[in-house]
Amino acid sequence: MAKIGVFICHCGENIASKVDCTKLAAAIGEHPGVEVSVEYKYFCSDPGQESVKKAIRDNNLTGIVIAACSPRMHEATFRKACAEAGLNPYLCEIANIREQCSWVHTDKDMATEKAMDITRSMIEKVKRNNKLQPIEVPVTRRALVIGGGIAGIQAALDIANAGQEVVLVEREPSLGGHMAQLSETFPTLDCSQCIMTPRMVEAAQHPKIRLLTYAEVEHVDGYIGNFKVRIRMKSRYVDIDTCTGCGDCMTKCPVKKISNEFDCGLGKRTAIYTPFAQSVPNIPVIDKTSCIYFKNGKCKTCMKSCQINAINFDMKDEFIDLDVGAIIVATGFQVQNTAGYGEYGYGKYPDVITGLQFERLASASGPTAGKILRSSDGKVPETVVFIQCAGSRDPSKGVRYCSKICCMYTAKHAMLYSHKVHGGKTHIFYMDIRAAGKGYDEFTRRAIEEDDASYLRGRVSKVWEENGKLMVRGVDTLLGKPVVIEADMVVLATAMVPQPNAKEFAKIIGIAYDEYGYYNEAHLKLRPVESSTAGVFLAGACQSPKDIPDSVAQASASASKVLALFSKEKLEREPVVAATNEITCAGCWGCVLACPYNAIEKKDIFDRSGRLVKRVASVNPGLCQGCGTCVTFCRSNSIDLAGFTEKQIFAEVMGL
Amino acid sequence: MITQEKYRTRVKELLANNSVKMVIGYKQGSTADRRRPLFVRSFEEADELVLDSNCIGNLAGYLVTEGLLSDEKRVGIFLRPEGIRSINILAAESQLNTEQIIIFGFDTSGREVKALQGEQAGDFSGLIDSLKEKPPEKSSDALLYRIDQMNTEERFAFWKDEFSRCIKCYACRQACPMCYCRRCIVDSNQPQWINTSSHTLGNFEWNIVRAFHLAGRCVGCGNCDRACPVNIPLRFINARMAQEVFESFDHYAGTSQTQEPVLASFNKDDSETFIL
Amino acid sequence: MSEPFEPKIIAFVCTYCTYAGADLAGTSRLKYAPNVRIVRLPCTGRISPMFILKALQKGADGVLVSGCHPGDCHFTHGNYHARRRWMVFRSLLDFLGISPERVKFSWISAAEGGKFADLINSVTEDIRKLGPFDQYKELIKETETPATL
Repeated sequence: MAKIGVFICHCGENIASKVDCTKLAAAIGEHPGVEVSVEYKYFCSDPGQESVKKAIRDNNLTGIVIAACSPRMHEATFRKACAEAGLNPYLCEIANIREQCSWVHTDKDMATEKAMDITRSMIEKVKRNNKLQPIEVPVTRRALVIGGGIAGIQAALDIANAGQEVVLVEREPSLGGHMAQLSETFPTLDCSQCIMTPRMVEAAQHPKIRLLTYAEVEHVDGYIGNFKVRIRMKSRYVDIDTCTGCGDCMTKCPVKKISNEFDCGLGKRTAIYTPFAQSVPNIPVIDKTSCIYFKNGKCKTCMKSCQINAINFDMKDEFIDLDVGAIIVATGFQVQNTAGYGEYGYGKYPDVITGLQFERLASASGPTAGKILRSSDGKVPETVVFIQCAGSRDPSKGVRYCSKICCMYTAKHAMLYSHKVHGGKTHIFYMDIRAAGKGYDEFTRRAIEEDDASYLRGRVSKVWEENGKLMVRGVDTLLGKPVVIEADMVVLATAMVPQPNAKEFAKIIGIAYDEYGYYNEAHLKLRPVESSTAGVFLAGACQSPKDIPDSVAQASASASKVLALFSKEKLEREPVVAATNEITCAGCWGCVLACPYNAIEKKDIFDRSGRLVKRVASVNPGLCQGCGTCVTFCRSNSIDLAGFTEKQIFAEVMGL
Repeated sequence: MITQEKYRTRVKELLANNSVKMVIGYKQGSTADRRRPLFVRSFEEADELVLDSNCIGNLAGYLVTEGLLSDEKRVGIFLRPEGIRSINILAAESQLNTEQIIIFGFDTSGREVKALQGEQAGDFSGLIDSLKEKPPEKSSDALLYRIDQMNTEERFAFWKDEFSRCIKCYACRQACPMCYCRRCIVDSNQPQWINTSSHTLGNFEWNIVRAFHLAGRCVGCGNCDRACPVNIPLRFINARMAQEVFESFDHYAGTSQTQEPVLASFNKDDSETFIL
Repeated sequence: MSEPFEPKIIAFVCTYCTYAGADLAGTSRLKYAPNVRIVRLPCTGRISPMFILKALQKGADGVLVSGCHPGDCHFTHGNYHARRRWMVFRSLLDFLGISPERVKFSWISAAEGGKFADLINSVTEDIRKLGPFDQYKELIKETETPATL
């Protein structure tokens, strides 16, 4: 038999002035199953809570309703009081008669009547409440960081420096990501390599970090605290443990004319190579598609040159299975393929280049050793035109967003150019100058005022070649005039876009992404570093275009989230989760599709002889977040949500 | 007649070489123009097969009879295009594996029966796509026209009158190939969402819920409508649901065995003009 | 003229947006009609059409369903699923003679206390104009009368 205690709070005058609490208490006292119905000035006060606890103990109450303020205020308070009195905290419900009754109504009779309805329906609900226990999930204290750019490195170092294990996975042969390609960085103009490489080395040598380069995440299973990850170690054909990184093999390799990805096609590399001189680890890989041996079975020059026999052409891909408790996704970005911009002549004229290519030209370790030279004739350009938003903020080309970094790096390029080429002239076509950030606006002002960059507000309509010059036709909207500039080089500030396989990869990890393929945060403002999947966090440009400071900040934020997760041996979660009825489930899998968290799995039911009887839906309580979308979908009513069960809601509505 | 003979021969062929364990078809019913289901396991039974324009029932529902397909042996079945769509939905909802089903497809125009090309559900995708391309026919039914002309009070009164006859025999559910749940929501009594007494309120609730559960799944085979002993025009309700999902979500039930259930999926750009 | 008709309206809302919006209306001391009773659910995705039928059975003259704006769902997709279901269910009710005017849907965020108060007032007024849902009430009455042989 239900023995419900109802506690009606005056909240000083806040409730009592509009709701006749005495009348309410008397009427509720008559309600079937109500054992205690009392009023008091402040139930949230210490004596108030004590009286609730005493009533629970004295009357052996099976459930309580606090008719007071919103559950968003004091549900936790009264649940705690219940627990202290020996009653399961989930046998407590709140009837909101303040925010949703006394504060919003003026007629005392009607407000009292409404308060009665609200309280009665909560009594009917609480009669059907079940005792619930918080869900405990064990935590594997090891983090997986996917992506070895600056965001991934920062996150890995932060976690490792706090004493937790990290596995850092990078698909390229070396750590570094895009930051390693940059020349100097805004707004301080410090050399990117100088600040990046020490971090790379630190990550590689850290005792708590297991570095897996030339490796890719193949499969992710499990849930927060308990992920199972399979990593493919792509075969390098060079034994990472024996190789000393002497580089003899690379010097001897006869295939020398392969376009160097790291230099954005401006330089050349060999078939056995490291992406760049400061690679970490400094162990080469063999590019199977270009290697003569893999093409026609002859050569092995590198093998012969290697004095310690580190090269092994029979190497196979290997798989590593890992248990991890949290995942940080820091997979970065790509620059948009400019082929869609025929009007700018990219690909047609060698001296129309992307911003990232300009970085390589300006970099001391780049193909020109830091000299700004034209690809076509190796001459120093005297006039350079920069085109901002070459891709970004252009819905017709599929990128509606602002890539955020281009205003700054274009200003930087103009500066670097004017420092390197005295007397050189820069023109920058822009839509807006977006220089929000510490020291950013000052930086663009410096480009204009000290380094004489000429900013033209307007778009470029066409670039063509005439008498060895690149003719750039655009419009200066401030003057209201079309302009044609004779340039020696054109630099396109191409849009940042997600990695080409971003969407497929998101499906492997089980996280959500937007229309472009950027990964979705759990809440744009309040949970910006958590993905929609518990235990998976985001860092860097895989979430949205970001510059280095933002990426690093987000990486550290993600790391702190992981460390908070690792601070306990077990996770405690609200037990508001769904559960299926395996007897009635028809196995149509609509719920599996509807679940926003991939929390519903297909479970095989076998008979005693091991024969498959049927397959039913089964909810993983570690993943379920308790939205109840599956419950509503289920035609046979075979799923229910603890805390908001069908019986509870039915009773609540029928109590109104 | 030619199609009937052709299919009888094919059924025997498949039985003879053990390609199917059974074929579900039609035989002569209790009156001249009635046909009833026939479960063919032998040559003699194959000779009883009838295929003519009176074969209108959708037999797809028999396939999900508990245990029929669990031995993974093949079963043949006579199906109209809408029956083939039912097979696709059942496959999409993991109730059967289409590789186990050999389809004897047919369609009728007037009194003539023509065979459909193909034997596996996938073979008919072109046909089903072409059906989707044809906008669902606005029924020329005089009664439907009258319902559409009514105001809401009149419509309520009309359906109240119709549903008042319902005796909760659940023949509609038994006849429907989509009603394969092990336990129907109406049989769930904790809580009792649907009043099981056959008073009009309970009848309203039952028919509303059944129609909602069929939204995006009904192929308009008419089994429920024909099964109803008190002649409630259930076809109109289900057709309205089919029209709604087609117009709002471009969903035509049963186009393929990988089609996502319309109410378990969504599009961020779904219409929401009705939301305040 | 007798007293004005006071409609009974039952609202199903999600706890993260509309329930919080209703709380905000309260903390802002906005005033609105006292005709609505709120049932709190974790997400609009949890709001089943069955709830609406039961609300009508309990004599509601109108039903309101409300949750987070598209893109704001705490559970990322619950409201998108809900929107589809409502679209279909609303059309079904309309075809069977239960006016869409009696079953309303809205998006109200946790910040829209003002919108909540305004909506309750306008929905109450609209339902008041429609009058009591007598047709459905007759069905309820029928369930209470003993069967005649």
